[in-house]
Amino acid sequence: MRDLAKRRLQENLSQSLKYLVLVFNDFFILALIFLFGALMFWYAQAMKSMPESLWYYRPLVGILLWLPLLIGKLVTLLKPADLQFLLPEDENLASYLQPMLIYSLIVPTICLVLMAGIIFPFATIKAKIGLLDYIFAVFAVFLAKVLQLKVMEYNLYFNRKISILILNILFLLLLGWGMFKPQSMIIIAILLAAAVFILVLKPRHAALFDWQYAVGQEEKRKNVVYNAFSMFTDVKERQTNIKRRKYLDFLLPKNLASENPHKFLYRRSVLRNPENINLIVRMTAFAVLISWLVQNWVWALCLSCLVVFLTIYQLIPMVDEFDNNIMYRVYPIERTDRGLDLVSAIAGILLAQWLIISISWLITLPINLHLFVAMGCLVVFSWGVLRLYLPAKVKKRK
Amino acid sequence: MTLKIEHLTGGYIGVPVIKDINLEIKPGEVLGVIGLNGAGKSTTIKHILGLLRPQKGKITLNGIDLAAQPTKFKRQVAYIPETPVLYSELTLKEHLQLTILSYQLDEKQAWAKAHELLQMFRLDDKLDWLPIHFSKGMKQKVMIVCAFLANTELLVIDEPFTGLDPLAVANLVELIKNAADQGKMVLMSTHILANSVQAVSRYAVLNNGKIAAAGTLAEIRMHYALKETDSFDQIYQILSQEQQNA
Repeated sequence: MRDLAKRRLQENLSQSLKYLVLVFNDFFILALIFLFGALMFWYAQAMKSMPESLWYYRPLVGILLWLPLLIGKLVTLLKPADLQFLLPEDENLASYLQPMLIYSLIVPTICLVLMAGIIFPFATIKAKIGLLDYIFAVFAVFLAKVLQLKVMEYNLYFNRKISILILNILFLLLLGWGMFKPQSMIIIAILLAAAVFILVLKPRHAALFDWQYAVGQEEKRKNVVYNAFSMFTDVKERQTNIKRRKYLDFLLPKNLASENPHKFLYRRSVLRNPENINLIVRMTAFAVLISWLVQNWVWALCLSCLVVFLTIYQLIPMVDEFDNNIMYRVYPIERTDRGLDLVSAIAGILLAQWLIISISWLITLPINLHLFVAMGCLVVFSWGVLRLYLPAKVKKRK
Repeated sequence: MTLKIEHLTGGYIGVPVIKDINLEIKPGEVLGVIGLNGAGKSTTIKHILGLLRPQKGKITLNGIDLAAQPTKFKRQVAYIPETPVLYSELTLKEHLQLTILSYQLDEKQAWAKAHELLQMFRLDDKLDWLPIHFSKGMKQKVMIVCAFLANTELLVIDEPFTGLDPLAVANLVELIKNAADQGKMVLMSTHILANSVQAVSRYAVLNNGKIAAAGTLAEIRMHYALKETDSFDQIYQILSQEQQNA
């Protein structure tokens, strides 16, 4: 089982590296350098003007150090097929999970070191925490992470499940309160080390391994990772969890007379497929935010036009979303006007996007004639991209 | 009014699975396609549904050539797959609405029939459910309801009995018999002969991608020299031996 774990970890690492290379491309690295530089510049300026030793500085350090605890769950790399093929291996799972736990510590530890490094000047200069106390505090957070992962491992068996949420709140209180007296960090670290020691040395779980729960948890964890990657690149392993969203049913036509199979399918996909609706919500929120930031109607119009274009552009793959469904191919559905059907299906949503952006302009920008001209221009632009660009692009896709 | 499969050779790119198949189904006939795993049953069905392109041969339904008029051909075909395939975005009610739209059915009449079928398969209180909430058997029942709702001339059924409870099996057999009584054509691939004999009027035995025998139950038994006391399932042992000898 240990060999299997090592093999799976190796495969997982190469898969993650493949996606990380795509995520951290040259442009993203450049953007990150700028963002980090800007943040550090602001931090350095703030450090100069910040008063010293305010009462909340120390617990704030505790809370900031606690944040990396929220990153990373126990990686088990269990697969649905394991329910069948590894079912009699309950007794050997401890040796399988041991390297998994060590692997699970890598990302949270990197995040913790980064966080500890960033807030170090603030903690030592402004919050007046001694170097040794600070090191113990960071070590205590590391031990808390180990403990949290051990509890996640414990939960994989048919034991009474321990809430990770409650555990995290407990750690938050411990670090927040403990930081009021940084000297107590050494005691907290010793207590956490003792807890980890007990859990590691504890006789192996007498309980049965909860396979269904373990596989389900791993699928959820993987989906979170894939969702993060999918913001930058296509992730074929990602599963889409459709949501019913009954409260949006009022947006669907009541009778079938004006419908055809494509419009019928696309409308529901827009509302229920998280990939589509999240994209529209995200892009609309982005347009509102940048309009507010630029505080100028010309820039707001130009950037909002870009957002509308990108929204429509990213919705184009919806046109062949159902191509891999056998029933879609068996049903007598004409495929000639798919582009126009997609236009009909998303027109209402784009109108809502325009409305929200326009309302946000009225609230955040100076109201004058130019603003109303910009609203008119935005709706004409949206209409043009939707009615002219999208069908042409769909035709090209064929 | 017939389904005609003439000299059909096909399969996957570079791998011809079926070779020179000739089949005909007349109105009111239920043809049972039987054979071992890998004999070519599902491949034949995929060709009839237009999911695979034939390497040779022709498939016509009531004179409509599948290759020339695919949509017109498909409007006369309903399909129940071995593994249920549903749209994850659509509720049960919406699957029925999509079937009504795709097959251009009269909404009022279709809903009357749908309610009858939903009651028969105990799905009438699950109209607002998404497929994610259905068990495998329930999904299969949704496929059956949609296929019979379409009211097509030809019904293609691939391994229909797996995953269904005995009550649903009995209901399905009854529906197939009724469809045949109404002059519909049914092509059914199955391994569970005990269930199929109740509905099937003629069999085609596929082995190594070829039609090894075709005829009524009595004719097939005679072809394979099965005694009256022998189980019809023994045919699989004979087919296996034939495969080994080939």
